Amino acid sequence: MKRIACYAALTAVSLIPCLPAFAQDYSGRTLVVGTWGGDIERLLKEHVAGPLEAKTGAKVEFLLGGSGDRLSKMVAERNNPTMDVTFQNIYEAPSALKEGLVVAPDAALVPAAANVWAGMNDGCYAMSLVGLGIAYSKAVFPEAPEWADLWNPDLKGKMAYAPYPSSEGDGMLAVAARIAGVDESNPDVAFAKLAELGAPMLTYSSLDEVLTLMDAGEIAAAPMISGYVISNLENYEGIGFVFPKNPGPVLVRDMVCQVANSPEPELAQMFIDLALGVETQTAYAQQLNFGPTNSKVVLSDEEAARVINTPEEVDSLLQLDWDYVIAQRSDWTDRWNKEILGQ
Amino acid sequence: MTSRFSKGLMLAGVIAILLFLLAPILVLIFSAFDGGNVFRFPPRSYSLRWFEEALTHTEYRSSLWVSTVLGIISTAIAVGLSSLAAFGLVRGKPSYRLGLEVLLLAPLTLPLVVWAIALLSIYAQLGINGTLPGLILAHVTITMPFAARIMIATFDEIDPRLEAAAKSLGASPWHVVRRITLPLAMPGLMSSTAIAFLVSFNDVVVTTLIAGAGWITFPVRTFSRLRTEGIDPTTIAIAAMIVAFTIVVIVLGQRLFQLSRRF
Amino acid sequence: MNQTPDITPTTTTLLIAPAAVLMFGVFVLPFLFLVVLSFWSQVPGSLSLDTSLTLANYVRIFTDSYYLGGLWTTLWLSGFVTLICLLLALPLARWIVLHAGRAKGLLIGISILPLICGALLPTLGLVNLLSPLGFINGALKSMGVIQSSLPLLGNITGVTIGLVQAFLPLMVLPLINTIERIPRDYEKAAMSLGASPLVVWRRVLLPLMLPGIVAGSLLVFCAALTAFVTPQILGQGKVVTFASLAYQQAAMVLDWPFASALGIVMLLFLALAGLVGALISRRLARGS
Repeated sequence: MKRIACYAALTAVSLIPCLPAFAQDYSGRTLVVGTWGGDIERLLKEHVAGPLEAKTGAKVEFLLGGSGDRLSKMVAERNNPTMDVTFQNIYEAPSALKEGLVVAPDAALVPAAANVWAGMNDGCYAMSLVGLGIAYSKAVFPEAPEWADLWNPDLKGKMAYAPYPSSEGDGMLAVAARIAGVDESNPDVAFAKLAELGAPMLTYSSLDEVLTLMDAGEIAAAPMISGYVISNLENYEGIGFVFPKNPGPVLVRDMVCQVANSPEPELAQMFIDLALGVETQTAYAQQLNFGPTNSKVVLSDEEAARVINTPEEVDSLLQLDWDYVIAQRSDWTDRWNKEILGQ
Repeated sequence: MTSRFSKGLMLAGVIAILLFLLAPILVLIFSAFDGGNVFRFPPRSYSLRWFEEALTHTEYRSSLWVSTVLGIISTAIAVGLSSLAAFGLVRGKPSYRLGLEVLLLAPLTLPLVVWAIALLSIYAQLGINGTLPGLILAHVTITMPFAARIMIATFDEIDPRLEAAAKSLGASPWHVVRRITLPLAMPGLMSSTAIAFLVSFNDVVVTTLIAGAGWITFPVRTFSRLRTEGIDPTTIAIAAMIVAFTIVVIVLGQRLFQLSRRF
Repeated sequence: MNQTPDITPTTTTLLIAPAAVLMFGVFVLPFLFLVVLSFWSQVPGSLSLDTSLTLANYVRIFTDSYYLGGLWTTLWLSGFVTLICLLLALPLARWIVLHAGRAKGLLIGISILPLICGALLPTLGLVNLLSPLGFINGALKSMGVIQSSLPLLGNITGVTIGLVQAFLPLMVLPLINTIERIPRDYEKAAMSLGASPLVVWRRVLLPLMLPGIVAGSLLVFCAALTAFVTPQILGQGKVVTFASLAYQQAAMVLDWPFASALGIVMLLFLALAGLVGALISRRLARGS
């Protein structure tokens, strides 16, 4: 009832012709944005959805879930999408574009995209930069380890991994390949090298499971994505996190996509423009430790130390050939199940 | 002597089983009082901050409301339809009874994610993806197997001669159902209502795929941040309050039920 | 049992039709789509489907011990969990009905608690109790019963404990309904005629409880068969189950044809088990 009254009021306002109204009026329309719950939803509401609603009169609704859920959703409802904007993983964006599920990034449609570091808008718009580094137990490693230190035979079977397939798993395979002197295009070597670490003690479904056991020293280390782990270090004194040097951390990006044939393309572009804007990107860096993709963002030294935010840092990152990795998905999943978990 | 001993043994066994059921939930309730930022047991310091957070957090409140509304509507439909069907199957003894019983159980044997993807594809073709009726239909389908199974067992155990006797004394069919069948089926109805509601209330997989943006349920919200940030202690405080609330409702409900029977 | 219907065929059809129509539209149609899907294939490295018919998905399942093993583990694990639930729920339900008195509501409430909170939170609670540093290992160690921690997580033991805890309510509730309906004097009458408690259970109580036992067992079995969160977390990724395989393929690899085939192979196994069960019970019935 209240809602109807609200719409009625908005419509009434928009009918007053002499009001210097919005550039274009979207009142009564709804933009649907698929994303993760928690802090991300909170920041997007505050810095993107709020201003967008104020500017256009439209309503922004969030559809919460995991990025795999959203990709499934896009494929299943490709003729009739319900989402206008969706946040995806780095490896999902190129294949979504290839399938025609998303609109190719274009600075003509989303002006802020011009400020994104070159080459990052791959498939969709690059939302944030994070790196796959090592979360480690300080009881096991008094000093921050390098990737190669994980291959200490004493630590066999004391690792924790995210469920496969995931950017953590693929990243770790790429690292194992580099340690063995090749790259991920040689999966036999990569799997054999990674198998030397033993079957993981834990495949975790939530951050709490792995951090609790690592804090207690039961788990020695885990390849993990920087943002949330760094935010959690204050809660667990026994855990450290490091971006290794040799090879460098694996680049992982969150992407924001405009869904193809969605009901509200213009609102979607405005939403993405605000999301890539300096204000949102700064908030992401300050509150989530997610590196900004917008080159115009300026961070304090302390903030900058916790995120990946300069072209030099990006250059030091290990970047995977995601097209190739995606094509191996089914095969590698079988191999991961058998050769890593089931050994 | 032996009977006393075996009674004591029985009591000890029952207490052990109840403790087993209760223990993980007691862990949750304790850790809801933790003062830290993460899920921890045993708590290191005690505070009520997560309960305060739970009571003031508007997103969680609206999600709980969505879950409740969705649960009530789906349960009403699922229990209603499956009671009618179960009564028909048991009393009508159609030749296809076994086949239909299997069909009514079948949704429980498929992994929900696979079925939900297929359902979403069909919904998208029909243009009802992301709508409330589509979501309710999906919830009715996943709760109906529970309700139907229990109602079939319930009607199987009610002696049809009781109904026949009442009818022979001149009671109308509606009167028979209201005065004989329904009261006898009440425990079964209550069990299937409880189970159907809880299954619907707690579903994650189907709701994540089928629900539209306006219908984010509490478990979907909880899971949507699980992989990224882990468990929100606020969720645990909410679960603790739901547990307390349910226990109070059940105990009070039973007392009222007994009182009403006295008159 | 009396085989003549108590209501007319028309009434029967009218009663059943709404549920049947709904199941057909919302369950059977998507299911048929899955059957078709299982004969298609995923184009490697893409999100699109190759719609030429193939048996590849089935060949892959039946020639790979990893998938067959996962399905088989899940089948016997579900059966085992059902059996334990039955053994725990029978005395519990009976005690609640006969002896709980005024505490009955409270006890029923406690016994359905695991259903109230969903799968995730009680499972995380269990992780805290069962972990190497958890309450149970700590208590056993301080009592001197064990020297080093028992492995209660990341194996079948942990998954079984978790599934029993999660699904015991599905057994307890139908049993309570059934037991409430058994007249108390049946048991006394049989006892007074000199029957031993064992005979009373076998000849009087169990047959009377059969509908409740069947309902509870079917619900627990199916719930355990498709449970995802509990085995995933308590198995720590080391216990391969039907639901975790199906989830990995459907939601993470996005190989829907293969995920559908996994579901359909499991249904075939269930149908086979049902058939064998029916044959055995028929033979037993003829024998007695």
